[in-house]
Amino acid sequence: MQNYLFFVAKRAVQLLAVIFFGVSAAFLITHLSPINPVEQAINRITGRSNFSPEAVADMRAALTALYGIEEPLWSKFINFWRRIVVLDLGPSLIAFPTPATTLVMRALPWTVGLLATAVVFTWLIGNILGGLAGYYQNNRVLKGVGIVAMGLQPIPYYIVAFILLIVFGFVWPVLPISGGFAMNVRPGWNWPFIGSVLSHAILPALSLVLVGLGTWFLGMRALVSNIISEDYVTYAELAGVNKRTIVASYVIRNAAVPQLTALAMTLGAIFSGTVITEEVFSYPGLGSLLIAAVNAGDYALVLAVATVAITAVAGAIFIVDLLHPILDPRITVE
Amino acid sequence: MIMTTMQTDDVLTVKGLKAYYKMGYFGIEREVRAVDDVTMSIRRNEIYGIAGESSSGKTSLIKTFAAAIRPPLQIVGGSMTYRFGDKIIDPYAATKAQVDAIRWKNMSYIMQGSMSVLNPVRKIRRAFRDFALRPMGLNERQFWLAVSQHLERLNLPERVLNSYPHELSGGMRQRVTIALATVCRPQFIIADEPTTALDVVVQKDVLAMIRDVQREIGSSVVFVTHDMSVHANIADRIGIVYAGRLVEEGPTRTLFTAPRHPYTAHLVASLPRIGDLSKKPSLDGRPPNLADPPKGCRFHPRCPMAVAKCATEVPPMETIGPDHRSACWRADEVRPLTTLGKPQEARV
Repeated sequence: MQNYLFFVAKRAVQLLAVIFFGVSAAFLITHLSPINPVEQAINRITGRSNFSPEAVADMRAALTALYGIEEPLWSKFINFWRRIVVLDLGPSLIAFPTPATTLVMRALPWTVGLLATAVVFTWLIGNILGGLAGYYQNNRVLKGVGIVAMGLQPIPYYIVAFILLIVFGFVWPVLPISGGFAMNVRPGWNWPFIGSVLSHAILPALSLVLVGLGTWFLGMRALVSNIISEDYVTYAELAGVNKRTIVASYVIRNAAVPQLTALAMTLGAIFSGTVITEEVFSYPGLGSLLIAAVNAGDYALVLAVATVAITAVAGAIFIVDLLHPILDPRITVE
Repeated sequence: MIMTTMQTDDVLTVKGLKAYYKMGYFGIEREVRAVDDVTMSIRRNEIYGIAGESSSGKTSLIKTFAAAIRPPLQIVGGSMTYRFGDKIIDPYAATKAQVDAIRWKNMSYIMQGSMSVLNPVRKIRRAFRDFALRPMGLNERQFWLAVSQHLERLNLPERVLNSYPHELSGGMRQRVTIALATVCRPQFIIADEPTTALDVVVQKDVLAMIRDVQREIGSSVVFVTHDMSVHANIADRIGIVYAGRLVEEGPTRTLFTAPRHPYTAHLVASLPRIGDLSKKPSLDGRPPNLADPPKGCRFHPRCPMAVAKCATEVPPMETIGPDHRSACWRADEVRPLTTLGKPQEARV
């Protein structure tokens, strides 16, 4: 037990280091971007009407001072970290002076709700079906699932997403194709809103599940078809051990360990995947926010999104790491 | 199929049993005759050793005994009947539920490579529960009491129950497996190479353990190994398997001192003895390909005593002495290749 606590502490330190370096890298990349947020803001304002050059110059000077972009990089870096410790990510530049944190927190539930649900659901269904398909290799239904999974898996995500859009939004228009909820409902804990959110989430979630399912299904099926020829499975069968116990505790249990590792490794891809998903389905999550921020040169907001994403992924991997020694007793903690 | 007829002392009766690996690749059918026309019986309260070289079909034979065969290996002919008390069952004619009902309760199996037969992510305690709770039909408390008594009898510390398989040494794991296979006190125990991959000291302990358990329960043990010295130590009777066929069967001492099949004679002669400096006679050639075995006696291409008849006609298994059967046309002429002194009495 003491070993385990020491292991947790060690991994926690690693977690903090990963977050620090990741966020720092994001900071440097955004600040070295050639897009100047001041020019972007001026373009936005002056685009609507004519301004005198003096007024524009004044505005530029005022905005530059306001955004604090004249400061040297290192002092910005130190300020950035000083503020981040108290969870202040600075004001957003496109929605000045709304704090970036507020924008991120507004978008986060959408992304987490959609992605976490879709990913966990995909992982569970894919692994359970794959495990059963690997064990009951002659089952017709599971063979069919295997063929579908194998056919779907190589199709690029955006193609699947667009096909879903076309089929369910145009050919057979039964589902909303964009947004997070309908315009005519009042956000809050009321049934029309919840129903609207769920119906809007179906297509993006379905696209993620369809694409992800194949990978987990095929991976698990391959793992399990190896495990069923392992001696301990044969032996349990010879002993007449209950079939359900064999499938759950001997076969799937042993295959789950590498699949859990794989899950931790794909968590990083979730946040990059969200950009495409949310763009295709105009979903009001972190991905849409990120694209808006990048286009406007709003590095404060980009950084805020990146910081949240890095922390979330590192945190999820941390949790999976902690589960490992519990799932597989052969993994020793030092 | 459960009947109540026959009153013999045999726990297992096998008649003309054939089990082939049947494979079809690209429309070409291939069959490997791993168990070919085996007739034998295992008595109550004896240790029966099955000997033979690698890929001679030993493991296929006892897998067939254990009703553990899977395609491509399948029964092609013959019959196999267990008799447990007054319950008579042919596993290949019975339903899966009936077969599962005798597993572990009446018949258990110690598998080859006991290093890997335990689930690596479950404690030994769970293995005992999974394997033995149902067949023993006890409630949890009585069950764990029975398990700890059994472990105590086998001189195994009770803490092994709380270990994971990887935390035990090889010998310990093998002994745990034997404890697991015997905890229900089955009448029939099948052991496939239980001492392979163990060093000789541990081997001796494990053999002693099997011997003790067998004596205590009074069950029958079918024991497979290629190691003739292990057979000499533990078996009451030995059956020699060559290329999927039983070629000779007899009491251990008879087989070692007066083998009546040329193959057995060579096996026995190949055993090293302290102080013996003579060159061991070795057989030319390789074990036959079971997909295309030689006609007639399968041993004839390598047999120094082969005559024309051996190449065309299969010698039948005939009784040639008390409890002693041999399948050789010239069984009467076979003499031991080395003169053994009295076989050592040392039994573990």
